[in-house]
Amino acid sequence: MAVAPIEYPPPVEPDREFVTKPTDPEDERIEVGVVIVGGGPGGLACAIRLTQLLAEDEALMESLGEVPVALVEKGKGPGSHLLSGAMMKPSAMQKLFPDLPESDWPTFGPVDRDAIYLLPNRKRAIPLKPTPPPFRNHGNHVTSIAQLGRWLSQQAEEAGVYILGETSGHELLVEDGRVVGVRSGDKGRGRDGQELSNFEPGSDLIAKATVLAEGTAGHLTGAAIRHFDIGSEDPQQWELGVKEVWEVQKPLDRVIHTMGWPLHFAAKYREFGGSFIYPMGEDKVSMGLVVGLDYRDARFSVHDALQQLKSHPLVAEIIDGGKRVGWGAKTLPSGGYWARPRQLWAPGMTIVGDGAGMVNVPTLKGVHYAMHAGMHAAEAIYERLKAGGDCADLSNYQKKIAGSEFEKDTYRSRNMRQPFAKGFLVGGAIANMMEISGGRVPGGHWPTHDDATVPVFIGPEREYPKPDGKKTFDKLSSVFASGNATRDDAPNHIRIQDKVPLEVALMWQNMCPAQVYEVPDDQLEAATKDGKLDGKHEVKLQVTPSNCVQCGAITAKGGRLTPPEGGDGPNYQLT
Amino acid sequence: MSILVYALHYEGEFNKNSLGAVSEGAKLAKELGGEAAAVVVGGDDLTDELCATLGNYGVSKVYRAKAPEGLAQPVVDVMAKVIQDEGFKYALFGGGLLGFEIGAGLTARLGAGVTMEVTAVKAQEGKLVAERPILQDSAIVDVGYVSEPGIIIGRLNAFDIAEGGDGSAEVVDVDVQLEDHSTKAVMVQRGEQRGADVNIEDADILVAGGRGLGKAEGFELCESLAEALGGAVAATRAVVDAGWYPYAAQIGQTGKTVAPKLYLAAGISGAIQHKVGMQGSENIVAINKDPNAPIFEFSDLGIVGDLNKILPKLTEAVKAKKG
Repeated sequence: MAVAPIEYPPPVEPDREFVTKPTDPEDERIEVGVVIVGGGPGGLACAIRLTQLLAEDEALMESLGEVPVALVEKGKGPGSHLLSGAMMKPSAMQKLFPDLPESDWPTFGPVDRDAIYLLPNRKRAIPLKPTPPPFRNHGNHVTSIAQLGRWLSQQAEEAGVYILGETSGHELLVEDGRVVGVRSGDKGRGRDGQELSNFEPGSDLIAKATVLAEGTAGHLTGAAIRHFDIGSEDPQQWELGVKEVWEVQKPLDRVIHTMGWPLHFAAKYREFGGSFIYPMGEDKVSMGLVVGLDYRDARFSVHDALQQLKSHPLVAEIIDGGKRVGWGAKTLPSGGYWARPRQLWAPGMTIVGDGAGMVNVPTLKGVHYAMHAGMHAAEAIYERLKAGGDCADLSNYQKKIAGSEFEKDTYRSRNMRQPFAKGFLVGGAIANMMEISGGRVPGGHWPTHDDATVPVFIGPEREYPKPDGKKTFDKLSSVFASGNATRDDAPNHIRIQDKVPLEVALMWQNMCPAQVYEVPDDQLEAATKDGKLDGKHEVKLQVTPSNCVQCGAITAKGGRLTPPEGGDGPNYQLT
Repeated sequence: MSILVYALHYEGEFNKNSLGAVSEGAKLAKELGGEAAAVVVGGDDLTDELCATLGNYGVSKVYRAKAPEGLAQPVVDVMAKVIQDEGFKYALFGGGLLGFEIGAGLTARLGAGVTMEVTAVKAQEGKLVAERPILQDSAIVDVGYVSEPGIIIGRLNAFDIAEGGDGSAEVVDVDVQLEDHSTKAVMVQRGEQRGADVNIEDADILVAGGRGLGKAEGFELCESLAEALGGAVAATRAVVDAGWYPYAAQIGQTGKTVAPKLYLAAGISGAIQHKVGMQGSENIVAINKDPNAPIFEFSDLGIVGDLNKILPKLTEAVKAKKG
């Protein structure tokens, strides 16, 4: 039997480690009105909407103290850790900034042409016409979410939001069954956790309401869902996207999606995914490959498959004579309707955006859902503040989400992703049926599964291209291009078991786009019998946590990502 | 006068990085049609003879002030006075922690414009333009100055040493009344950060080892060769991580930046994170068993082979040649 990574669970106890009571003496706690964890589109939209609402009620604003709205961001600043395709539906920006013309948005403008291709092999591309509805993007905006985040954070700061960069939300503060804030992470610890000369302990941030907008595989979000038991019966699933931004010679005239090669079609590989290629103005192109993390072959690597994809004539022509100017990787929740948390709030707290699974996989959309959810959370909290200030019951947030675009869209596509576990062709047929029937067929409840429960095997060696440093790159060059310059002696923030079977170890090594995990040569030799790899042989991995770009894939595939020191990790600019 | 360059010294010797800055300042001043001067701060070890040797690197004048050495604030006082009295248009630093601290302090004191981590400076239309890498060295921007003076702080070892002058700089003593706050800090002890016993930034020859050495003991091969060549030993992040060699010897993005005359890379694959720390080396020789290693793409001489065999033979050969 092949081994599933879940048989080697990470050494982590979220409820004990990441949920605590406030510990700072009362006079040292930082009291704010509302604390938002995460400076992505969801958190920032929430912050901006809150300030818009509070601006109309000065007395209420003043009652919240010196800092009515605070936002903590673990990257160097908002935007540093943001990565998405991204094709944004305009509805959320229109709602948040009703007086701002679309031409003034920090985007690359709306799309007017799109195309989708099936790539049967390394040479051919079959256009699918007319473009299937989920891939029609007329009117949607091509966006660099890293840039959008920076722009939104400027708007938020101008509106009076107190943004704390380089600050991770490390523990959820819970007292008497309700969330009372978050504790920020320590800084300046050495490799073994010892306090260095620049050590700075975290602080308790106490708030009337806490908004978890941490994005994919959220650290506190996961702990909160477990602590308050508000998850769904169906486990969340994730996909891993690796993305590059290219400076190109000639402008790309359309939005492109591809399916098929270099992913394997055969059902036993369970490789579900595809690529996107979007024009970013006249001189840049954003491209990436997104693959479901329920794939099975330990040799599969999204990073290297993307390198391979660039040799396809369809893609090669677009980037010919160009230069790579950005790189990054990130997971996205793909469990859809059934896997989203059953309850999106707990006393004193709400969850918005990717942390709550707010992505519609068939249409590849999530940014606008996160922003809508952020605004809904702001409105729900404002209602409670206005009605006396107690934010324990935030069920009004759940009601707002229940009537939202997100709920309708994901219900319509609720059984679309799951059939792909049967392979690309069968899955494709069933997904089509769902689309054509307007969400009626197949009915019922198709359960999702935990990516880490899928057994992995070591397939035949893959023919990934040798990096040439011009068109194709090795993982370390990619990490460099992400702007990651994390100090080497930081404590290890990645939790995995020390010794795992080679199958699992190789899967992690190849899965990780940032070369965090490596099976050392001597371990590989020890696992080789009669010239063949023994997948069951237990090996010890070499882990380089400072390479980590915090994509979250390890959390999906049997380990646990926890937030490192604030400011560590990538510094995305164009992704 | 156009450019004032700070020269750091220790125990009667100027630091290599400072000599690079002095040479660069002299070259740039010539292009601007002006002259460069150096400024030195310290005690009695700053003899007339020692100061005059800076003329070898192209400056015509050396301003000497008696003040505590190795601390930033007294140097800020001295440089602020010299710049104001003599009307310098630019101040140039070779970098390093002290250079950064003095440069920043001087900028604040004079309300000047500053550029840090500068890798090259050019003269354009009678003004200096500094080149500064941004976004983790993925792009370079030109920075000009709109006011005077312009403060330029180089990246460590960014500037090459050039002996072109006639070796007779005029030494001018400057009398400076130090600010009160400048005398608050005193030097208690000089020590290398994180227990360094090698000074890889000043070495002309570096033998660097990577994961290809196989084990910590593999560094003995590098050490023997470095000893025979009269150089020092450096290391990659991977081996420092693995505990094979101390952090003080680490080269690269999160380590030190070096530019020796000879950089011999043994068992180093040459990832970009390493490359950014040593690409300024004059001659790069790489030994690696993997012919596809990226390091061969930017080395002057590449040897594909087993370093366990090559390094000892090389050491023997160097010893034989040196007698």
